[in-house]
Amino acid sequence: MYLQEIKLNNFRNYSQLDLQFDPHLNIFIGANAQGKTNLLEAILVLALVRSHRTSNNQELIKWGTDFSRLQALVQKDQSRVSLELILSSAGKKARLNQLEQKKLSQYVGQLNVILFAPEDLNLVKGSPSVRRRFIDMEIGQIDKIYLNNISKYRQILKQRNNYLKKLRSKKTSDKLYLEVISDQLAGFGSEIIATRYQFLQKIQHFLQPIHQEITQGQENLQLDYHTLAGDPAQKVNDIYQSLLTRLTQQAQHDIAFGSTSVGPHRDDFSFVVNQKDIQKFGSQGQQRSAVLSMKLAEIDLFHQEVGDYPILLLDDVLSELDQVRQTQLLQAIHERIQTFITTTSLDNVQIDKNNRPKIFNIKAGGII
Amino acid sequence: MQYPKPVTRLIESYMKLPGIGEKTATRLAFFTINMDQEDVGEFSQALQEVQTKLHYCHICGNITDQEPCEICANEQRDQTQILVVEQPKDIMALENMHSYNGLYHVLGGVLSPVNGIGPDDLRIKQLVERLQHDDLITEVIVATNATSEGEATAMYLAKLIKPAQIKVTRLAHGLAVGADIEYADQMTLQRAVDGRQQI
Repeated sequence: MYLQEIKLNNFRNYSQLDLQFDPHLNIFIGANAQGKTNLLEAILVLALVRSHRTSNNQELIKWGTDFSRLQALVQKDQSRVSLELILSSAGKKARLNQLEQKKLSQYVGQLNVILFAPEDLNLVKGSPSVRRRFIDMEIGQIDKIYLNNISKYRQILKQRNNYLKKLRSKKTSDKLYLEVISDQLAGFGSEIIATRYQFLQKIQHFLQPIHQEITQGQENLQLDYHTLAGDPAQKVNDIYQSLLTRLTQQAQHDIAFGSTSVGPHRDDFSFVVNQKDIQKFGSQGQQRSAVLSMKLAEIDLFHQEVGDYPILLLDDVLSELDQVRQTQLLQAIHERIQTFITTTSLDNVQIDKNNRPKIFNIKAGGII
Repeated sequence: MQYPKPVTRLIESYMKLPGIGEKTATRLAFFTINMDQEDVGEFSQALQEVQTKLHYCHICGNITDQEPCEICANEQRDQTQILVVEQPKDIMALENMHSYNGLYHVLGGVLSPVNGIGPDDLRIKQLVERLQHDDLITEVIVATNATSEGEATAMYLAKLIKPAQIKVTRLAHGLAVGADIEYADQMTLQRAVDGRQQI
């Protein structure tokens, strides 16, 4: 799939913008703070209905205006779809081919994007929540049942934590409801753990050869999922049983702290190179390579699951990579994936002139 | 200029109803001015009576103008089954089906600690007492909504009642009657596949 056109109204620093894109390579050039990343963010928001930079919609709406409108035309294998998203203080409205979608989950998934931003280097270095957010976003794009499980899980978790606090403050002493809600939580939680584990297995299948190539056969990269709910490779039903057992064992502890201490909301995964967790023992370069391999593997995974290539957004990352890795990345993209690159200057980017990228010069919320 | 006081008062009263804003309320108020006096009398009397004549049945919790309610008083009904619902209006929906002939019990909501509703805030204790005093009951059918709160409430009731050797059942989930598989959403389909039955 590729993005043919986007129109923005009152989004971030853009009051009005209408851009036509090249099906292969598009480059946004501009000095700092001119709105390069805002354009990538607009594409990402159109795809996922949420931003990677903020969870507050108000920040996306241009200062001093009431709402922002984003529109896009996406060319798929056989068809063309139009997407429209309106963000206002009243919430989000999504239209697919001019028809309003009551459930946002019906809308998400029409446009698939993969973003590679400098923050992504945090994927290895950062806290577990960064990795959980990442994995949830990735699976959510291809698996709607997972999205539903996540939202149900969060809802029930809130109920459970709320009830734990009630038990702690002795407002109630009924443990039966705690049992019930733990059971329910374990039900959705085990589905989530199983799906996440399978996702990591699948992506690992693509990741290993890519990483071997990037490191010239020196590193064997593996992804390990960590959960307190037993072995994630088990059947869903067994994960459910062990998660429920853990929740029951932790009940006293959970009441004392007023929050739930086991479950997918506390899980994590690690990047293991040659048997060493590179979050703790890896060099900057190793961490960078691992993230790059992950992103490249994602492209292949998407292709397998969705049957179409996603759109790749590279936010200022080429300058973060050395020449070998840059070449690796651009080779992997080749001609098959529409790519958007932001950079402060073309000198930082090694681009094959034969690709004939479409270049946009960006200054203060406009194209010059 | 402002409307005369009685009109303003009427508009404000209409606005207290759900789904009615100022515009609709104003239209309704002006319509009321031109209504037959008799109709208006009937209307205001009806409004009064739902408050004064109706109360909750002390057995099942349904709204009724009798004591006990029509269903609880009817000895022709199957005294071995109790169907548990969230709200009185759910009873009407089930009664319109004309095929269930047992008794009912209204919980008055679902368990939701986030909204401050715990087991003590629902008519759960009354249900348990009913089961203790009535030996005829052999089955409790839980018909709470298919939301996560509804599910939790159903599970709670099941755990509470099961030790008393009474059968607890739950309404089926899945495809709606007459629905096309191709139009069903993924969650519904998954439920339908999970709950498949042998034929």
